[in-house]
Amino acid sequence: MIVVPGRRRARSVEGSGPALIGPDEWRRARVRWGFGGAQVLLLIGLIVIGLGPLVWLAKSAITPTNDTITYPMALFPHGAAWSNLHEAWSNVQVGKYFWNTVVLAIGSWFAQVFVATTAGFALSVLRPAYAKVITALLLTTLFVPAVVLLVPLYVEIVHPPLIHHSFIDSYWAVWLPAGASAFNVVLVARFFDNLPREIFEAARIDGAGPFRLFWSVVLPMSKPILGVVSVFAVLASWKDFLWPLLVLTNPDEQPLSVRLPQIQSQTSLGVFLAALFIASLVPIIGFLIFQRSFLRGTGLGGAIKG
Amino acid sequence: MAAIEFQAVSKVFPDGTRAVDSLDLEIKEDEFMVFVGPSGCGKTTALRMVAGLEEISEGTISIGGRVVNEVQSKDRDVAMVFQNYALYPHMTVAQNLAFGLKLRKFDKAEVRRRVSVAAATLGLEDYLERKPSALSGGQRQRVAMGRAIVREPHAYLMDEPLSNLDAQLRVQVRAEIQKLQRTLGVTTIYVTHDQTEAMTMGDRIAVMRGGTLQQVDAPEQVYRWPVNRFVAGFIGSPAMNMVNARLTRANGDLVASFGQHSLVIGEEVLANRPALRAHEGGEVVLGIRPEDIEDAAFAAEAPGRTLTVVCTLREALGAEVLVHFSAVDDESAALIARVDQLTAARMGEPLQLVVDTSRLHFFEPASGLAIYGEGGRVGAPVAA
Ligand SMILES: Nc1ncnc2c1ncn2[C@@H]1O[C@H](COP(=O)(O)OP(=O)(O)OP(=O)(O)O)[C@@H](O)[C@H]1O
Ligand SMILES: [Mg+2]
Repeated sequence: MIVVPGRRRARSVEGSGPALIGPDEWRRARVRWGFGGAQVLLLIGLIVIGLGPLVWLAKSAITPTNDTITYPMALFPHGAAWSNLHEAWSNVQVGKYFWNTVVLAIGSWFAQVFVATTAGFALSVLRPAYAKVITALLLTTLFVPAVVLLVPLYVEIVHPPLIHHSFIDSYWAVWLPAGASAFNVVLVARFFDNLPREIFEAARIDGAGPFRLFWSVVLPMSKPILGVVSVFAVLASWKDFLWPLLVLTNPDEQPLSVRLPQIQSQTSLGVFLAALFIASLVPIIGFLIFQRSFLRGTGLGGAIKG
Repeated sequence: MAAIEFQAVSKVFPDGTRAVDSLDLEIKEDEFMVFVGPSGCGKTTALRMVAGLEEISEGTISIGGRVVNEVQSKDRDVAMVFQNYALYPHMTVAQNLAFGLKLRKFDKAEVRRRVSVAAATLGLEDYLERKPSALSGGQRQRVAMGRAIVREPHAYLMDEPLSNLDAQLRVQVRAEIQKLQRTLGVTTIYVTHDQTEAMTMGDRIAVMRGGTLQQVDAPEQVYRWPVNRFVAGFIGSPAMNMVNARLTRANGDLVASFGQHSLVIGEEVLANRPALRAHEGGEVVLGIRPEDIEDAAFAAEAPGRTLTVVCTLREALGAEVLVHFSAVDDESAALIARVDQLTAARMGEPLQLVVDTSRLHFFEPASGLAIYGEGGRVGAPVAA
């Protein structure tokens, strides 16, 4: 609701729906300046709070350590130090940890999307008689705090049933538990519930078995929810700290989130900040790219009359 | 292509609703069968059981002589047109049409051939690359039809496919569907609650009510010889007028009197309804179709066929005029006559009407069953 006063007035005059402040009131100078000014202040405040730290981090990443310590508020008193970025990437091996993080994120993303869509499909579309019981069980797991599950999960990864081979120090130890997200399953199942069932029925009459139905009809119609699950999955994996720290003991395999605190003691402040900047860049860019295509409307127009 | 047979089929939903109750019906090969009835009478449920989308609670359904109770939808080889189209939103029109063929492993050239034939038949050539969201309602409806006809299945199942179209388009598509069904010669079950569609399209129509089948016959037979009050009132528009009447004998003729009016029952009526004689001296429900009542100015007047009434409402439809009048003082329910467009009837003015007494209908007041009787008309209609 942050709108420049002029535009706000134009829209109010067009008159769709009740405006907080009517067009007549806008004409009164005191209201206009008072309310409009408040809006602008709010906008500036939000920008400072939201963007400020990021910009500050970007600035510090290319500032020599001495300057950052001595003149924290100054803008490049002795020029920029681009070498921070390079040093962080190669000398401190942020590049390698970065790659580890990407691999972990892709695997976790795949596990989550795979489990969420197939389980959601089974519970919502195929609907076997016991689907209600399973859904109820899934919902109850949402009430168990993740911390409580930490120890049992760890034990299970060390002594997995049937396999009898510890997953510790392998990426499977991160990927597999990531898939077990009741929240994702419930989210996707609810989305599938709202897809028009006639379309599934039409596909079945057209000759589609369950697999076809899933792959050729349900998945393509589910892009919006896949986007949501994907964004959550990648972000959660990117910033997860505790679990990778527990199950990945070999530093060469650890992701950025685990390595960054250790890096801090091994290098200068400038390089560390550069590493932090690199680490936060990917989620931000990814979100900027994908938010549009993922979070917009469902695009189901014309499927059914209604 | 294949006959469809219902044998004592019932559908009981988990909540106990008996949507279809022991339905017995045989649909012949290549026949166009229309299921018609008021909302909620179980038409869609019956159709979905044929399609395999709804489990059959009791009885058996066979398609082409094969009992399909345990056969999955995809293996029944039927095509269905849904009331709300149910097109695949993420596929183009061409992909929508081709989907069923691809799943049935037709080779690419054959798929392309059939899609283009269907598109040409339905006038969809210009839209093949569009998504359903970029089509008008009528075009979507045709895509839904096209998806059924490319398959060349054993049977078409259509659930009120025209209900979303405007009146003009409906008449047009109605004719198209009929033509298509005749040329393709595929057994079709067509569900509608519109009695005009039922009358014009069906080889036979099955009238349903509350899950039970009332009557199955050719449309004109159902129109002329309804088995009960419900069918009589449902088929025909405006609906048949019904009044309680007393049967008496006067001058040797059987006379039905209601209010101050009395109509002499014609010989042909008695020939078709011998059981009527048994009701002499008793109450019956007299049914007169609006189209069997004419303004006296346009019909040969005859004693015992004339009603003198006051017109309470006049609706000019162009080709004809609907005259509302009340025949029985204590009954507020108006009767309707469908008279010549040049009628002089005016609201509030008296009017002479002539009834075609050879086409009167009679029903038992208690059961609502039509009175025909031994040796009378109507062979053995199904009645509940
Ligand atoms: N899943 C269900 N569970 C319980 N009752 C149902 C279910 N589906 C339908 N019914 C009931 O079964 C009856 C028949 O429904 P059906 O959809 O066959 O009616 P219809 O004849 O097609 O009506 P319409 O002309 O309105 O489409 C209705 O009373 C309806 O409420
Ligand atoms: Mg229906």
